[in-house]
Amino acid sequence: MRNRLMLLGSLSLGVLTFSLAVSAQAPARGGSPPPGAATAKPADLSGDWAPDGRRGGIGQSLSVSDIRGAKRGQEDDIPYLPWAREKTMSERTSTGPDPQFGNTTDPQVLYCEPPGVPHIYLWPIKHRFVQTPEAVYILHELGPFYRVVWMNAKHPEDPDPQWWGHSIGWYENGDTLVVDTIGFTDKTWLDQMGHPHSEQLHLTERYKRVDANTLELRMVIDDPGAYSKPWNAERNFTLSKTGFLRYQQICSVRENRRFEENLAKPALPGK
Amino acid sequence: MTNKPLLLIALAIGFLATSAPLIAHHGATNVYDFSKPVVLKGTITKFEWLNPHNQIYFDVTDEKGTVSHWIAATEPPQVMIERGWTRRSLKEGDEVTVYIFAAKNGAKVGNLQKIVLADGKELTAAGPAPAAPAPAK
Repeated sequence: MRNRLMLLGSLSLGVLTFSLAVSAQAPARGGSPPPGAATAKPADLSGDWAPDGRRGGIGQSLSVSDIRGAKRGQEDDIPYLPWAREKTMSERTSTGPDPQFGNTTDPQVLYCEPPGVPHIYLWPIKHRFVQTPEAVYILHELGPFYRVVWMNAKHPEDPDPQWWGHSIGWYENGDTLVVDTIGFTDKTWLDQMGHPHSEQLHLTERYKRVDANTLELRMVIDDPGAYSKPWNAERNFTLSKTGFLRYQQICSVRENRRFEENLAKPALPGK
Repeated sequence: MTNKPLLLIALAIGFLATSAPLIAHHGATNVYDFSKPVVLKGTITKFEWLNPHNQIYFDVTDEKGTVSHWIAATEPPQVMIERGWTRRSLKEGDEVTVYIFAAKNGAKVGNLQKIVLADGKELTAAGPAPAAPAPAK
């Protein structure tokens, strides 16, 4: 009898461990367009959109309560899992209150890798939306990179993890573009402050032009692999009339080193 | 009335504190002294229009004739275009007055606040001031 109980206990523990392991590796499922989305009125997102200097600006952190990154690891609006907090605090940022440009672990600066999304919205660049019935193409001055948002489509069952994930979209209320993305690699940071994510990240973005000159982006970051519950983030943009891509923000190891040697390194405390 | 100067000082400090992160994507409050710019009269020796930040090289000669070499950074070209700059905004030999948030460690580098050309034209590097926080809902 006693042995049977021990066996049952071991089996339960095994099942539990297996379930947790499966759960940790399960791909994010993502959303899907609501009924009737295919005939919804498109939102007007025309124009070139620059970070709104009066509402957050370029920013350092996705935390709405800590845009400048002064409370990294202690933000009250980021529900870290323990490993995610530890990972965040182990990173060396290239910007923010304590920048270590020459010694950073930011993969975008260190390796010139794509920043992914939403990290790309914490760069001092403009963005443009090219809207077609089949897809919305989001163009960025950094890279220059672009994303494809497949309109009124479905996610693949088990998308390959990729830098920009797999994005589908639809319009709602005649004024908002909803972008639903899964299938991310876990190699990118969410922002300049090193907030990590897992391959389970399911990102929902809502782009809404609230007046002629203002675009708001509201996001839900749902990543059970890194955070205990979904949390909200936002970016704000203002209409620019100076032209799109008049200068290409290319990540160049050579130019980064020049900045590091001439300006970043000499200014470090203790130098 | 007596409170007015205090209010202005508080507003000025608030502006500097909140605008510093807008000045430099890679600048930092623990590296550069954003409390006040250092004002330097000098001569442009080189202007590099490039990522990740433009670099302005200029020489400053003191009363003893000693020349020191300074470098100021601005935001990258695509941001400075928004602020009215071009790659031809400065050229070698320009006599300028430079307002720079210098490194706290004494190195002759920093983040540019603004430059005034010999003809009085001002080139501002800083972005717009942030709006007052929205009232709590």
